[in-house]
Amino acid sequence: MDPVTIDTTKIKTVKKKPVTALEKLEDTGLISTVLAAREREGLILFSTVDQIFNWARLSSLWPVTSGLACCAIEMMAVAMAHHDIARFGMEIFRASPRQADLMFVAGTVTKRMAPRVKQLYEMMPEPKWVIAVGSCASTGGPYHESYAVLKGVDLIIPVDVYIPGCPPRPEAWLYGVIQLREKIKNEGYGAKWGLNK
Amino acid sequence: METDELLINMGPVHPSTHGVLRFKLRMDGEIIKECTPVLGYLHRGTEKLGEMKTYLQFIPYTDRLDYVSAFPNNYVFVKAVEELAGIEVPLRAEYIRVITMELNRIVNHLVSIGSLLMDLGAATMIMWGFRERENALQLFEKLCGARMTFNYIKPGGVREDIPEGFIPQLNEFLKDMEKRIEDYEQLINSNEIFLMRMKNIGVISAQEAVNYGMTGPTLRGSGVDYDLRRYEPYSIYPDLDFKVCSRPEGDSYARYIVRIDEMKESLHILRQVVDTMPEGKIVSNPKYGIAPMTGTPSAVSTYFPRIFTPPAGEVYSRIEAPKGELGFYVVSDGTTKPYRVKIRSPSFCNLTAIPKMVVGLKIPDLIAAFGTIDVVLGDVDR
Amino acid sequence: MNPAEELKQKLPAAVVSTGMQLNKPMAVIKKEELLNAAKKVKEMGFDHLSVITGTDYNDHFEVVYNFFSYEKKQNLVLKVITDHDNPEVDSLTSLWKGADWLERETYDLVGIKFTGHPNLIRILLPDGWVGHPLRKDYDMNTEQFVTMGEGGEDVVSTDGGNLLRRK
Ligand code: SF4
Repeated sequence: MDPVTIDTTKIKTVKKKPVTALEKLEDTGLISTVLAAREREGLILFSTVDQIFNWARLSSLWPVTSGLACCAIEMMAVAMAHHDIARFGMEIFRASPRQADLMFVAGTVTKRMAPRVKQLYEMMPEPKWVIAVGSCASTGGPYHESYAVLKGVDLIIPVDVYIPGCPPRPEAWLYGVIQLREKIKNEGYGAKWGLNK
Repeated sequence: METDELLINMGPVHPSTHGVLRFKLRMDGEIIKECTPVLGYLHRGTEKLGEMKTYLQFIPYTDRLDYVSAFPNNYVFVKAVEELAGIEVPLRAEYIRVITMELNRIVNHLVSIGSLLMDLGAATMIMWGFRERENALQLFEKLCGARMTFNYIKPGGVREDIPEGFIPQLNEFLKDMEKRIEDYEQLINSNEIFLMRMKNIGVISAQEAVNYGMTGPTLRGSGVDYDLRRYEPYSIYPDLDFKVCSRPEGDSYARYIVRIDEMKESLHILRQVVDTMPEGKIVSNPKYGIAPMTGTPSAVSTYFPRIFTPPAGEVYSRIEAPKGELGFYVVSDGTTKPYRVKIRSPSFCNLTAIPKMVVGLKIPDLIAAFGTIDVVLGDVDR
Repeated sequence: MNPAEELKQKLPAAVVSTGMQLNKPMAVIKKEELLNAAKKVKEMGFDHLSVITGTDYNDHFEVVYNFFSYEKKQNLVLKVITDHDNPEVDSLTSLWKGADWLERETYDLVGIKFTGHPNLIRILLPDGWVGHPLRKDYDMNTEQFVTMGEGGEDVVSTDGGNLLRRK
């Protein structure tokens, strides 16, 4: 079967205010090649499975509460009204790893905590992402020379985004979240399982 | 019917343990028979690092002990070093230090009360608490460029002078805060559910509290009217007028009320300090005494030598941190690095009493009692 | 009269010498007499045991107790000197409950044994950790890792085992 090719130059885009739900969706820019069937006024949606899945995933990342040290206080600040992480649909910090798909490793991972962090990660269902927040989680940070601290959480679990800082400012934190959303947006379906390789 | 005891594990990743603390609970039905805290999930070896760093290099590590209130941590280590080396501190620097410490006390209590109420199921207070905290953090940021980990208080003074516009902003914060505290009291103090959850929960008598080595608001909540700011005065506290807040009941509610009252006292102290703030130098040099050069220095490091060696000796220096008595025991052997740094952290010593306080209660009461002890795990495990 | 002198008068056999810890009166106590001296100290009104510190001086250990009296607003420091090979002092848990964890911590990090302590196990580091980090001869080059055993208990090893993704 021939793939359908669409000559995008022929499509006239008139920027108008989004009214219908579908138009609003288009307006977010999250689904880039969405083409609505105009005749049926938004009842049919063309996209790829990848994009729909990714869009759904990145729009409601639920983090697991795993505050480990100082950075966890900034995590609370990010979640509260002033910085308001709810803008990204991720204000629901889950206490159970089974209900979460994102882990902020916020703080120092000590040797004694390391197996617990790993277990927590393993308990999360696929697909899952990890953000290492602060220099401690990234490299050991100020405690690099200590006998009791793991030198970076990437020694035990894979990390998607590193946010430097000690602690990172909430703005840096949000920037890290945006980076992760960028990353998820470009993932292929099943990328987490290695299916499209 | 045959009954059996139940072992329940709580933590180390649990939303109500304020970090990575773990409780092992032996339960008889719903009643706690025995509670064993397991610590050390955040043990970062700070004391050993103290022996590996120079005096100035170690100050940032003190920030990260009790990360909710870092200024008092800075201050007490610096105070120990100053006592050891006999360094004079200019008066203006002391005033700035007290401003930072009292602001930090307010921030600490906001976080503590906020998370206590969140654990009890009331989410409003933490939102409010963090809203006001954000205002205070903006002040800190203006002062030293950091929100939580300041590295601001240095031997001989402070790192930077008060920037322009700080005092008006502080005054605004004080005015605002006064109203806010009233709001909190209206919201919480007479809430029926809150009272039922807090009154007569986690009771500890004055005698026991002293025996367990509890300090700070937890001790004052048991009716021991003791505050190092008053009875072993340091810095400029002797010149200030403030009440020592205490309550006789010894239950969770009393400890909560003490915290609210302390916030008001801190506001009172801050107002006095702002009004009587002297002009002058903000840093002294151990060699030449109080600031020999003219103009305000932008960084202490230009005035204060990076490498400095206090004379050999040992000192135990302590202050009233927001959580209780915070002490640093520093041994110097006359080299550039401390020979031994021991941290007496209030959270660690206050937590000792938890197994005693919660026997016979239910698990939700453990949360309430634990919340009013107000520990920070960085301070417990160090 | 400062409380250290007072203690010396009351218990001349126990006190080796008196002096000052910068600005706090200090009495050096014979190791065997520590419990007696502590009892006397408590009778004298020192009800707050502020901190217990153990320090390694390469050839001996010093254990320092900082006391405070809420009533008299006085400080008192007791110091005990032990030998390096087998550092052992009496536990004060029977007098101050707060001493419990402080002694466990000193045992954990400095390796001083407290005889008579009801539950002298490691508190901050996991059981099985080799060495006491705050000793001067602690080996900082060997990394120790903690993994979880079957029942969730800590297992200490030097290779990281199934914990690390890469070396
Ligand atoms: S990066 Fe800094 S602020 Fe964050 S946990 Fe580590 S020491 Fe604390």
